[in-house]
Amino acid sequence: MGYGDVQMIDENGIRVDGRKAGDVRPISIELGVVPVADGSCRMTWGTNEVIVAVYGPMEAHPRKIQRQDRAVLDVRYNMAPFSTSDRIRPGFNRRSREISKVTSDALESVVLLELYPRSKIRVEIEIICAEAGTRCVGLTAASVALADAGIPMTDLVVSVASGKINGVVVCDLNKAEDNYGEADLPMGVLPNSGELAFLQMDGDLSQEEFQEAWDYNMEAAIVIGDYCAEALKNGGYNL
Amino acid sequence: MITSTVMKGGSVARLDNMSGKGNAAGPHDSQQAPLLVAPGEDLGDSEDYEVGHGVIVMDGRLRATKQGQMKKDGKSVSILPSRTKYFPRPGDLVIGLVEGCTNNIWFVDIGAPFNAILPMSLGPAKMEFGGTRSVIDIGEAILCRVQEVEETHSSVVTMKGMGLRKIRSGVVEDIDPHLLGRLIGRQGKALRQLKEDTECRVVAAENGRIWIDGDFEGMLEVRTRLRAMTAEAKAATPGGVA
Amino acid sequence: MSIPLVPQLLRSHLVELAENDQRLDGRRQWDGREVQLEIGILGNAEGSAKVRMGDTIVYAGVKFQTMTPYSDRPNQGGLMCSAELRPVAGRKHEPGPPSPESIELGRVVDRGIRESGCIDTEALCIIPGEKAWQVILDLYAISDDGNLFDAFALAGIAALRNAVIPFAKYELGDDRPLDVSKTPIMCSYHRVGGRYVYDASGREELGGDERIHITLGADAHVHSLQKGLKGTFTAGEFAELMEQARIKGDELRDLVHSLEGGN
Repeated sequence: MGYGDVQMIDENGIRVDGRKAGDVRPISIELGVVPVADGSCRMTWGTNEVIVAVYGPMEAHPRKIQRQDRAVLDVRYNMAPFSTSDRIRPGFNRRSREISKVTSDALESVVLLELYPRSKIRVEIEIICAEAGTRCVGLTAASVALADAGIPMTDLVVSVASGKINGVVVCDLNKAEDNYGEADLPMGVLPNSGELAFLQMDGDLSQEEFQEAWDYNMEAAIVIGDYCAEALKNGGYNL
Repeated sequence: MITSTVMKGGSVARLDNMSGKGNAAGPHDSQQAPLLVAPGEDLGDSEDYEVGHGVIVMDGRLRATKQGQMKKDGKSVSILPSRTKYFPRPGDLVIGLVEGCTNNIWFVDIGAPFNAILPMSLGPAKMEFGGTRSVIDIGEAILCRVQEVEETHSSVVTMKGMGLRKIRSGVVEDIDPHLLGRLIGRQGKALRQLKEDTECRVVAAENGRIWIDGDFEGMLEVRTRLRAMTAEAKAATPGGVA
Repeated sequence: MSIPLVPQLLRSHLVELAENDQRLDGRRQWDGREVQLEIGILGNAEGSAKVRMGDTIVYAGVKFQTMTPYSDRPNQGGLMCSAELRPVAGRKHEPGPPSPESIELGRVVDRGIRESGCIDTEALCIIPGEKAWQVILDLYAISDDGNLFDAFALAGIAALRNAVIPFAKYELGDDRPLDVSKTPIMCSYHRVGGRYVYDASGREELGGDERIHITLGADAHVHSLQKGLKGTFTAGEFAELMEQARIKGDELRDLVHSLEGGN
C-alpha cells in the first residue's frame, strides 16, 4: 500500500480525529501518582498514558557509574506488555534502550547535576498505553516528574512530534498519521528559552515544510510548557 | 477498546488562541498573594538581587529552578519548594542508618544524595580494629553530627560529642526537612509543647528524621501528630508548600 | 517514610505495637487498607484493571494471542501469568533480571487463578490440534507499599473477568467475552511483631517475618495456599487465617462483581 494513499486529512483541513493541522491532542497531567517515589507524574496525551517516577538524588550504586563532579541520570524508558495492540514481550529491547539514552541526554541539558556530585537520580518512564509519540510524552512527563521531586532544573523539556500527511504539514501526529505519513519530526524544546534538547527526524520534508513542522513544534511546546507549569503549581491539571 | 482513531469529544489545544507568556518585568513582589513558580520561569532582572535557594542567574535574569513559592526578602530571591532533599552541612545533628561497614569505617545513610562515613576514630567507644559490627551493627540507627562535607569525598560524621549515641529504644520517623521549622516552632516552643503533652523524648534532627522515645501511648501520640502536621502542610496551599 | 534497611528499632517497635493490638498506621489486626478497583482502563488491552490498596498501585492487562496447542493437549489453549516488578515501583527495586521475590510473586498469583479452574482451557480451542487462544495476563506494579500479592491477584481476576476475546482482529468471527466461571480472591497474612496481620504495608513487610497466602473461591472453596519465608505457624493460627480469608474474600469478590453490571 502506498503511504500517500491513505486519506488522513480532508479538503477542509480536518484530520481523521477531528483536529485541524495545528491542533495538539488532549492532554492531562497528574502529580504524585506514585506515592512511594520522590516525585512522579502521570500524563495522558491522546490515548497515550505514561507514568514517570523519580527517585533521588541518592547514593550512586554501583560505584563505577559514580562521577566525582556531578550526579548521574539513570533513565529507563519501558513499554508495558499491554501497552500496544500486539503484546510486547518483557525484556531487553533495543528501541527502549535508544529512547532511554536520548531522553537521558535531553534531561541532562536542564538538570543542575553539578549540585549533587557522586549521586544518581533515577527516572523511570513507563508507557502504560501507547498511541504514537510515546518518546515525546515520556520526555515531557519525565521533566515534570523531576520538577515534582524538587530536583533543580533550568527549564522543563516539552517534546512534540510534527510531521506530514498527504502532503500537508500537521502538528502532533497520532498513530495512523505516524504509520502512514510522509515525515516525522520529534523535538524536545525548553519552553522558557526556546532552545532544543532533543531532535530526531525521519521521512521527506522540503526546506519550507521542515520550517513549518519546526514552528508547529515550537509553538506547541510553549503552550504545553504553560500547562505543565500550571500543573506543578496546582498539583494536577486537566486540559 | 479503541477500534478507530476518532476522538470522542473533549477539548483540544488550539494554537491560534494561545495566550502570551508572562510579562518581561517579572513576577510582582510577594507582598501580594504568594506567587507560585515552576522551573524555568523568569523572575525578573538579576541586578540588585542575590540568589537564594532554587534560583539562578541566566543572561542577567533571575530564573526559578524549582517549583514552589517565590520569596523576595529584601535583596534576596528564593523559592520555598514543596519538597526538599536533605543536604548535609558541617555541624548538623543527624540521625543515620548504618548500611555497611569495613574493619574500621561505618557507611551511614543520612538521607542525603550520598552516604556519609563514620571512621572508627570518631566512633562511640574505644575499640579494636575489626570490631566495628559488634559496636554498631548494620541496620542500627545513630544520633551523630556532620563533621565535614567536601566535594571530593563522602561527608564525615562523628559520634564524639554531647548526647551523641547509638539509638537503642523508641522509634525513628521521617518528615520532609522543610517541615522541621513547623515542628520545632518559634524558639523551639512547638517542640517543647509536644514533648510536654506526650511525655516523650523527641529529637528532631536536621535531616528530617525524628527520634521518639517514651511510653507506648506517648509515642503513638507523637507519630499521630507528625502525620497530621505533614497532611496539613500538604493541603495548605495549592502547591502544597508549607 | 522510606528507610531502606530494617532497623532493629522497627522490629522491636512492631512487637510492642502487636502486644497492644495496634499497627503502625492505626489499623487493627484484620483491617485492610482502602481498596480502589477500576476496570477497562487500558485502551490497548483486551481486558484490564487497576487496583489501589493504600499506596500500593498495580495494573493488570489481558492480551490474547493465537498459539499451536501442545501435542498432548490438542484441544486446549493456554493461560500465562507474568508479573513485573519494575524499578518504577520502589526505591529498593533495582533494574535487571527478575528477582526471586518477583518470580515467586508471579507464580503464587498465577496458581491462585489457574488452579481455581476459572478459565476453561478447552473453551479456548479454535481449531483442534492447530490453533487455540493463549490468554496472557500481565501484572504490572507501579507503586509498592506492601502486599503486592493481593493487589496483583485482585487486579488479575478483575481484568480477566472483563476480557473480550478479539476474534474480529484475527478475522475468526465476532468478538466475545472470555468466560471466567469463578472469582478466586487471595488474602495474604504476614507475621508482624509476633502475630499475623492482614494486608501488610511496606514497613510491616520490612519488619515482619513469614507470610501465608490463601486463595478462596465462593463458598470458601480452597484453591491455592502458599507459605513464604522462614518461620512456623500453628494449626490454630492457620484456622483463624482461613476464617478471616473467607470473610475478606467475600467482601472483595462482591467488589469485583459490583463493577460488572449486567454479568
